[in-house]
Amino acid sequence: MTKIVTEGPAGYMPQSAPSMGVELAPKGQALLYGNAVTEEEAMRDAAIALLTKKNPTIFPGPQVLWDWKEDVAEKSAAILELASEIPNCKIIPMPDYRPKYPKIDVKAEINPNHPNLTILDNRIDACIFVGVHCHYANLTLRMIRAGTSCYTVALCAYMGHEEAMASIRDLHASDILKFKDIVIEERNKLGIEWATTLPPENSSLEKDDYGTLSPADYGEYRSLIMTKKGEHVTDVE
Amino acid sequence: MSAIERPQPKKTYADINYLLKEAPRKQHFITGAQAMAEAVKRANVDMAIAYPITPQSEVMHLVGDIYAQGHIKEYYRAEEELGTMSAIAGAARAGVRLFTATSGPGLLRGLEAIVSWSGHRVPAVLGILTRVINAPLSIQPDNIEMAYMLYSGAVMLHAENQQDTFDMTLAAFAITEKVDVYIPVAVATEGFFVTHAKGYVDMFDEEYALPAFDSVAAPVPAMDNETPPARIQRDAPVQKSNFMSYLIHAVWQQEIWDSNRRAMKYIYEYLGGPIEVQNPEADVFVVASGCAAAQAREAHRYAQEEGLSVGLIKVRAIRPFPKDEIRDAVKNAKALIVPEHNYVGWLCAEIKAAIPNGGIVVEGPRVYGGMTLPVELIMKEIYTSLGLEYDLKL
Amino acid sequence: MSLKYITPAERFKRYLPKDYVELVDYGPFGKTQDEAGPGNMGQFKELVEEHPMCSGCWMAYYIRLIFASLPCPEETVTLGTAGCGRLAISQAAVPFIYGNYGDQNAMASGLSRAFRIRFPDKTKDVITIAGDGGTMDIGFSMTMHSWIRGEKFTTIMLDNEVYGNTGGQESGMSPKGAILKMAPLGKQGEKMPATALAQAAGCVYTVRMSPTNIKKAAKIIRRAIFVAREVGPTFIHAYTSCNIEYSIPTEDVFADAKEKEKTRFQFEEYMTDAAKEVIERVEAEEKAASKARKAASKAEAV
Repeated sequence: MTKIVTEGPAGYMPQSAPSMGVELAPKGQALLYGNAVTEEEAMRDAAIALLTKKNPTIFPGPQVLWDWKEDVAEKSAAILELASEIPNCKIIPMPDYRPKYPKIDVKAEINPNHPNLTILDNRIDACIFVGVHCHYANLTLRMIRAGTSCYTVALCAYMGHEEAMASIRDLHASDILKFKDIVIEERNKLGIEWATTLPPENSSLEKDDYGTLSPADYGEYRSLIMTKKGEHVTDVE
Repeated sequence: MSAIERPQPKKTYADINYLLKEAPRKQHFITGAQAMAEAVKRANVDMAIAYPITPQSEVMHLVGDIYAQGHIKEYYRAEEELGTMSAIAGAARAGVRLFTATSGPGLLRGLEAIVSWSGHRVPAVLGILTRVINAPLSIQPDNIEMAYMLYSGAVMLHAENQQDTFDMTLAAFAITEKVDVYIPVAVATEGFFVTHAKGYVDMFDEEYALPAFDSVAAPVPAMDNETPPARIQRDAPVQKSNFMSYLIHAVWQQEIWDSNRRAMKYIYEYLGGPIEVQNPEADVFVVASGCAAAQAREAHRYAQEEGLSVGLIKVRAIRPFPKDEIRDAVKNAKALIVPEHNYVGWLCAEIKAAIPNGGIVVEGPRVYGGMTLPVELIMKEIYTSLGLEYDLKL
Repeated sequence: MSLKYITPAERFKRYLPKDYVELVDYGPFGKTQDEAGPGNMGQFKELVEEHPMCSGCWMAYYIRLIFASLPCPEETVTLGTAGCGRLAISQAAVPFIYGNYGDQNAMASGLSRAFRIRFPDKTKDVITIAGDGGTMDIGFSMTMHSWIRGEKFTTIMLDNEVYGNTGGQESGMSPKGAILKMAPLGKQGEKMPATALAQAAGCVYTVRMSPTNIKKAAKIIRRAIFVAREVGPTFIHAYTSCNIEYSIPTEDVFADAKEKEKTRFQFEEYMTDAAKEVIERVEAEEKAASKARKAASKAEAV
């Protein structure tokens, strides 16, 4: 098999996979390095990458992060089962698609407008995208291929993604569980010891108590929040 | 009474492949404008927005009639074309099926919005009923405006006749809504020559229609307060003064053209491919699109009768442009004649760029300003290409 | 209520960034104005927080106020156009549509009509928020025609009397005589009579104001939204100074807004009878509901 789409960095101005002649896999098949293969073959290659490369990470997108559709519960449970079987796997979400302002917390999230920041900062060498809308997934995967050496896996509910090293199409929860089983098989073949463990929670999660928060807590920015009646704030930035 | 409260005609919903290929058809003798409206009637369109311009107006009058009959849920006359095209873009965010149509100067007035549709991932069908662009003022057919659409990102189909107009318009709705396409599809045909002239059109019964628009099966979330994420800009202003912002815009543009490229397989599936080739072994080909293809077809028939080695290539898809298909079809040709209904010869330029030996392309014949394209003009070029004398009498 | 699309999938909540969890737990979605409204800004997670507006920007303040005043943020879509405002509006946790130059009211026409055919049983609030240039200059025809057609959505004009984002050029809303870029000898024409135009074009509720009073400004925003749901187009013309282009020292921004309230932005509220009926009904309902809640919480405390 000739690898058409490979781990990057593809460079400053990446060529898109479709423009290199890669076509989406037909129904019932998957894409591996830009070639149509069986779903199992793609999953096996992806599993080995996730088991052998550094800092494997799952990036769940809005379609599985938010409770908007009936299949979300089942899919999100399956994704966590999969994550639990990949040694030291992390979960970093892509909760939305707008560029982060003023700056992204790369430990806490990934964003389609600058996804490589999260990949590079966390030294992620293999990752899975799942539940990201196709347009944004394509942008993200291409930017990652442009600027990083990360191996990308796309688990897609629709037609899949040319830009990923491994792309599974028409994804259901059952496909995620099948992938999990393949991960376990490959892990055993590689002789990696691992007890099923859920990934750690989001690293940004310490909470402010909004119940006791007052404008005073905003320090020098309090005048931008609001002024009290009769108050005239002159001391601002 | 609101649109949804009006009684709606009973429909049988069916897959696009069934509608285009299997549903029993009956022959009708109708105008191109009617053919386009009849396709819209069978496309289960949610909303159509109209603005008058000759020769397009006829299409949106008829679409208005089918709205009144209950085939379409919402329809209104907008303030002008930029307002029309912007409203289409707004309505697209709500996840509905949309149609509008325009001509020449109207297309250019709406162009600011139209060229942004692809980037906004607006799955709408746009009818282009061609007309000259001022000045001087004229309402006559000339497809110069299509040149301005070539780089809009939209998929572009060019109908030869009334039958094409019906089939392509219907197929356009199916193509534009594919998750891997989801950019607008423009269906163009010549004003008056096709829109106001009658031809035979085989149509299936109007009881049949496409299934309802699926707002979930989309590469971008509908902005309908039902689809996550809430904190979302489907069309993010991505300007931030750093390298990353440029890259996001760059890959976004690539995505538009990749989507355009992905439409090709559906053009094969629904329309039998982006080109039609007659007499593939010929020495000389007449390559044409739209109404010019009808004249080219006639020239091809004359040539067959006269025993000349002449083939016909009709180009159905202008975007994605069938480079590979044309290159392959003409690899042994000695000359390509490209008749067009415009001054600039945009199809000619596309063909030259697609083949390694652009020198074999004959620049023309071209007519414009509303002039008809006599078959004799094409015959003269055929004769000249074959090294024969032709006594041109018009 | 469509709270589902802003509710985290049970299993994933612990993997969401803090920012989003707080928005769900402490944000205004599904809450009343008493719980999360302009009255207690700073004490709940707001829909718009970090934004790149200039220090002391009165427009940024008013935009925050708009979002804090929304009657139903989880059923709201905002639209905007080029200008400073969109830099903050686009940061809100409410879907925001950015099209082309000045086309917000045309887009909102399509969007709000499409919502009505797709969701006949739901109320979705569509609000355009654009500057004076976007609303009254480049978008003028589309603004006016959306009103003439009687489109049911709310238009808010953030009038800073200048093209701020492009570097301080004269706009149709700049006052006569103002020396600005592209008006090196001072503006020749008068400031456009926006609310009069709106009334002539068929807006059923219009307000001109300098939003110096939070409570009042919030009430107006809500009135405009409630009326647009049922009656027709509504319009708020709000003064949101540009302290950069008009060289207003940050500490004087509020005083300037107060001063404008006495001159070009004298409070003016117009409503048709039908609009008045809606306002009276909704405000009475809200009052009763608020009273009932207070009584209930008092009873609970006892």
